[in-house]
Amino acid sequence: MHFTRFSIAAAALLALAACAPPGQTGGSESNTTGPIKIANVNAQSGQLSSLGQWEHKGVKLAVDEANKAGGVNGRQIQLDLFDSQGDPTIGTNVARKIAAEGYLAMLGTAESAVTLAMAPILKDAKIPNITSGQSPKLAELKSPFLFLNAPTSVTFDETLAKYLIDDKGMKKIALISNNGAYGAGEHDAFLASLKTRNVTPSADEIVTPDQKDFNSNLAKIREQSPEVLFIGAEEVQSGLIAKQARELGIKAVLAGGAPVGTDVYATTAGLDNAEGTVVSSPYLSNEASEPIKAFAAKYKAAYNEEARMHVAKAYDGASILIEALKQTQGEGGQKLADAIRGVKRAGLLGDYTYDANGVGIHETKIGLVKDGKVVPEAAS
Amino acid sequence: MQVFLQTLIGGVTFGAVYALVAMGFSIVYRTMGLVNFAHGSVVMIGAYAASTFYLATQLPFAVAIVVAIAVTGLIGLVIERFLRPLENKDFTLMLIGTIGFGAVLEAGAVLVWGATGHAVPSPVATGPIDVAGIRIPTYSLLVIAVAAAATGLLALFLQRTKLGAAMQAVAMDHQAATAVGIHVGRSNAMAFAIGAGLAALAGSLIGPMLYVNPTMGGTLGIKGFAAAMLGGFGSMPGAIVGGLAFGLLDSFAAGNFQEYSELVTFLVFALIVMIRPTGVFGEATVNRA
Repeated sequence: MHFTRFSIAAAALLALAACAPPGQTGGSESNTTGPIKIANVNAQSGQLSSLGQWEHKGVKLAVDEANKAGGVNGRQIQLDLFDSQGDPTIGTNVARKIAAEGYLAMLGTAESAVTLAMAPILKDAKIPNITSGQSPKLAELKSPFLFLNAPTSVTFDETLAKYLIDDKGMKKIALISNNGAYGAGEHDAFLASLKTRNVTPSADEIVTPDQKDFNSNLAKIREQSPEVLFIGAEEVQSGLIAKQARELGIKAVLAGGAPVGTDVYATTAGLDNAEGTVVSSPYLSNEASEPIKAFAAKYKAAYNEEARMHVAKAYDGASILIEALKQTQGEGGQKLADAIRGVKRAGLLGDYTYDANGVGIHETKIGLVKDGKVVPEAAS
Repeated sequence: MQVFLQTLIGGVTFGAVYALVAMGFSIVYRTMGLVNFAHGSVVMIGAYAASTFYLATQLPFAVAIVVAIAVTGLIGLVIERFLRPLENKDFTLMLIGTIGFGAVLEAGAVLVWGATGHAVPSPVATGPIDVAGIRIPTYSLLVIAVAAAATGLLALFLQRTKLGAAMQAVAMDHQAATAVGIHVGRSNAMAFAIGAGLAALAGSLIGPMLYVNPTMGGTLGIKGFAAAMLGGFGSMPGAIVGGLAFGLLDSFAAGNFQEYSELVTFLVFALIVMIRPTGVFGEATVNRA
C-alpha cells in the first residue's frame, strides 16, 4: 500500500518535472565527462545566410583547433549548428531547444533581432551567449549571460562621425536607415553622435527592411545635396541603396558600419558605385596586422575562401569561450559567464576587455572601399 | 515635382515586374481556377537560371532570359503534371500541392546554388538618362519595354492563335470546352508553362535590380499576388493595371510614410479589395475546380 502511494507520488513528481518549461532543466546539468556541448546558432538559409555561414566557419575553425590541441581539460568540444533562418521566432524555439538539451554555451547569432529574442530564455537557463550582433539594445539588456564579440553601433558610428565631421569637416549629412533591429540601432547611434557635435541631418529617411525601391526616399535626399549619405542597413539593402543613390546622381560620400565593408555590399551596389565608401569597422582587411595575416592564411587553407570580419569576430568569440571553459574546467552557468567576463584577449578585432554590459571591444577604425575591398584610411 | 516624378519612375519599373508576376498568377487562375502558390519560387528559379547562365557564359542577357524561360517553363509543366490527377477532384489538395512545390523549389535552390545568393551586374552599361533632373536608369527602360512586349505577345497569343483561343475557352467553361474536343489537361499544362515563363521573365529582369537569393521569391510572390488581386484575379489587363498600381502605391508610400510604408500599402490594398472584392477588372464569380 505504502509502495503504491509512493509510486503515485513519484509518478506525479516525474510528470510535473516533465511539464517544466524546456530550458529550466538544462541549467542544473553538470556533466563532467564526455564532450562539452556548444551550440552555434546562425542563419543557414534565408537572406542573411551569408553572414550565418561565415560565422559558422569562424567558430568551427577555433573549435577544431582547440580540439586538435587536446580540447578543454582533455574533453573534446562538441559544436552543433542550429539554423535560425535569421528569424527571431525560430530563434526562440532554438533557444528553448539548446536549453533543454544541456548545451553549456551558445555562439551567434549574427542578427541582433534574433539574439534579442533569444536572450531572456538563455538568461533564465543560465547559458552564456557570445553574439555577433552589434545593436546597442543588446548592451542595454545588461544580461549577465550576454556578451558581444564586436563593438556596438554606438562605437561604430561615433568613430564614423568623428572622422566625417571632426576630421573632414563635412556637416551636410543625410541619413537613410531601415527600422529593423540593426538599422534602427545604427540610426539612433549615428544621430546621437551628430547631436553631440551640434549637427542636424539634412535628411533622415527611414525605410523598411524589405524595401527594394528607394527612388522616393533618395529623390528627397538629393534635393538637399548632402556631402555625406549615411546608410544604416544590412549588406544587400545597403548595396541597393548605394546603387540607386548613384543612379539618381547623388554624389555624396557614402558611409556606414561593417555591412558596407563586405563584398556583398560592393557587388550589389556595383564596384563603381561602392568606390570610396567610408567604412567604420574594427576589422578592415586581412593584411591589417601580422596576427590577422596569419589568421587569414589559416582560414584560406581551411575553406579556400578569403577571411572577413564576420569570420574573424566569430573566431574571436569562440576563442574567448574556449579560454573561459578552460578556466572553469568545463563548467557552465554563472561560473562560465564570470570567466568570459574576466577573459582579456588580444583578438583579431582588437583587445577584448568586457564591461558590465557585455561589450568587449570599444573602438573601430576607418577604411575606404577600393575596387570592392576595404583599405585602411591612412594607407589610401 | 522632381521627387514626384522620380518616385513615379521607380514605381513604374517595379510595377512592370509586379505586372509580369501578376500575369503569371492570373493565367493559371483563369484557366484552372487555381492559385499557384509556387509562383514566387518559380520567379526566384527564373532569376537564378538567367543570372547563372549570364554570369557563366557571358552570352547576351537576352539569351540568358530565353534559357531561364525554357527551364522554368519545364518546371511549370512538371508541377501541372503532378497536380493533374487532382484536377476536378480535390481543389484544396491542389492548393497545398502548389505550396509544397514552392518549398521544394526553395530548398532545391539552396542545394544547387547555396544559401548565400549573388549580385548580378547590370547588363546595360550605359548610365541613366537625365531628363531635366529626373534620372531614368536605362535598365529600367529595358525592363518596362520587355514587360510591355511580353504583354503584347501574350495578348496576341490568347486572341489570335488556336491554342490561345482553346485556353480562353477552357477558362470560360471547361466542360463545354471538353465537349467541343479541347484537351483541358493540355490547356492547363500550357497555362502553367506560360505562367512559369512569365515568372522567369520577371525573375530575370529583376535579378540585376536586386540580389538573387533563394528567398527572394517570397516578397515578389506576395506583391505579385496582391497586384493580381488588385487588378482582378484572372484578368490579364487587370494584372497589368494591378501590377503598375501596386508598384506606384508601394513607391509613393515609401516616400511619404517612411517606416509605415508597408503598413499603408497593404491597408490601402485591403480597403480597395473591401470596396471592390473582384478588383478593377475581375468578374463577379469564379467557380472552378
